Amino acid sequence: MRSAYRVLAGLISLGVLVQAMAIALGWFTAIKDVDDGLVIDKNYDGNIGHSLHGTIGMMVIPILAILLLIVSFFAHVPGGVKWAAIVFGLVALQIALAFVAFGAPAVGALHGANALVLLGVSGMAARRASGPPTPATTDTTATEATI
Amino acid sequence: MARRPPRRVLIGLLATIALLAPIGWFWQQSLVPGGMSAMDMGYADFGGGPSVALMHAGHGTDLSKLAAAPDRPADVSVSLVARKERFDIPGRGSTEGYTLNHTSPGPEIKAKKGDLVEVTLVNESVSGGMTLHWHGVDVPAAQDGVAGVTQDAVMPGQTFRYRFVAPDVGTYWYHSHQLSHEQVKGGLYGVLVISPGPTDVVAVAHTYDKVRTVNGGYGERRVPGVAGSTVRVRLINTDNGPMAAWVDGAPYKVVAVDGTEVNAPTQVEGKSVLVTAGGRIDLVITLPANAIRIGLGGGPTTLVIGEGDAPTGREPPEPVDLLTYGKPAALPFDPSSADRKFEYRIGRRPGFFDGKPGLWWTINGHQFPDVPMFVVKQGDVVRMTVRNTSGQVHPMHLHGHHVVVLSRNGQPATGSPWWVDSLNVEDDETYEIAFLADNPGIWMDHCHNLPHAAQGLITHLMYEGVTTPFHLDGPTGNEPE
Repeated sequence: MRSAYRVLAGLISLGVLVQAMAIALGWFTAIKDVDDGLVIDKNYDGNIGHSLHGTIGMMVIPILAILLLIVSFFAHVPGGVKWAAIVFGLVALQIALAFVAFGAPAVGALHGANALVLLGVSGMAARRASGPPTPATTDTTATEATI
Repeated sequence: MARRPPRRVLIGLLATIALLAPIGWFWQQSLVPGGMSAMDMGYADFGGGPSVALMHAGHGTDLSKLAAAPDRPADVSVSLVARKERFDIPGRGSTEGYTLNHTSPGPEIKAKKGDLVEVTLVNESVSGGMTLHWHGVDVPAAQDGVAGVTQDAVMPGQTFRYRFVAPDVGTYWYHSHQLSHEQVKGGLYGVLVISPGPTDVVAVAHTYDKVRTVNGGYGERRVPGVAGSTVRVRLINTDNGPMAAWVDGAPYKVVAVDGTEVNAPTQVEGKSVLVTAGGRIDLVITLPANAIRIGLGGGPTTLVIGEGDAPTGREPPEPVDLLTYGKPAALPFDPSSADRKFEYRIGRRPGFFDGKPGLWWTINGHQFPDVPMFVVKQGDVVRMTVRNTSGQVHPMHLHGHHVVVLSRNGQPATGSPWWVDSLNVEDDETYEIAFLADNPGIWMDHCHNLPHAAQGLITHLMYEGVTTPFHLDGPTGNEPE
């Protein structure tokens, strides 16, 4: 369970990185396509970068965050539930910021900032679950090592 | 070694259930059942008029019987063979998509008003199946070409024959109404002109993968034109968003909207005209000594009429307002004594749709397929208020009927009767429209931004006593959006 926690939290960090890459790919592709004759108006529905960003952000990362929270209930990671809950909350906030940003683009800047917070917090959660397992009844030195 | 107390595991399990149960419930509620009938969808909305009995399959009038004169010979006979293949976009190069008789757009179909038009569709290799819908033409219900509502999708190797009497003159188009968000974009469309004139210039705009084209070609396309002569330009927007069009080098008149003539059109200079997604606008232009250019949305693709250099302008900031353009004329019915008044409120909310999380469209606060079905009786005068607060523009398209605009944001229409089949409703706009229920059937009333339709911005206008034997999804593979 500890390693599941570590892997899930790590995948969320990695997901944030992939999201940044996907959206950069999407808009650089769009800029090149405009040079090549594309018109971006109400008819435009994005490219592979945008659709990847949508799918990963709306499906993959939320599912990972839910799984992380569930695993945290059983994983005995010190502060594991708390950190998983914060990750879950940040993912929900990230989606809410995106929805609001379609109407108020300035909010999109917070979407960018919150992504980095999520990257950091999920990375910290992963580190909490690394190292040898926290024993409940034996070997106090190992417990110290994880703090 | 002491075992961990099971209490902790129990709390964990309870927390898991508390977390998953609401998510699972919302997910499950959003699933769209397969094999659904349009008759069993959503809930009946009688618009304040008398409620009428809704029939089920096997009772009432089967809409597939609502067809054109079966014994009359065809005046115009066309065969269209649909294929998935590479084709050439002149000025651009080859692309992968769909063709009709090896071209995209498909052949232009021309007929006179009153002609019996017969189109034989052969699906050679469009793997998802396809149909043909006669956009803007008030055909009998059996000929409307909506997979799962008026027919089954025509699968590869199958044939379907459409027959209808061309009811009204004007500019129309046809397109697949099976998996339409993908098939129309990919090229399954063409132009239909009823009672064309000798000076017609068709300008059908379509965006394939990334590039907008006119008449299937990219960049500056040219057609001949004689200085001093008058041409009728038939603008058709086959895309998902509204398109501004304008004329560089000459004034023009807007003489028809969605096939219906404008009463007493006036000369326009230095303005653009908005062509709704799915909509058509006819312009009349007297050609000056030099060539003129039709601007189509501001991209590299334009249509030049005449010889030599044409001026290159920018999109004029002010559009022609059809609410006040032209002169009023009598309507064929009285909207002030409506039998039914419907509301079509378009909103958007976060949640699941068919199991997928996202921001989804709502109709009167309900999500597809739990949407209002607008029920009418033949002969009803119907008013509808279309209000959009969803954050995006929606080109609303009612099949089988022409609707007249009464007001926009409370401002009454004071120009020529503004008849449409595709109405551009911007965010925060409210239109009041009216129509006569004179074409029995089950008619889609949906957003013609086809990806929006695929996301559930669809409902139906249903007539008392009319039933359909066809089903959505399920084993037939009917997916009209």
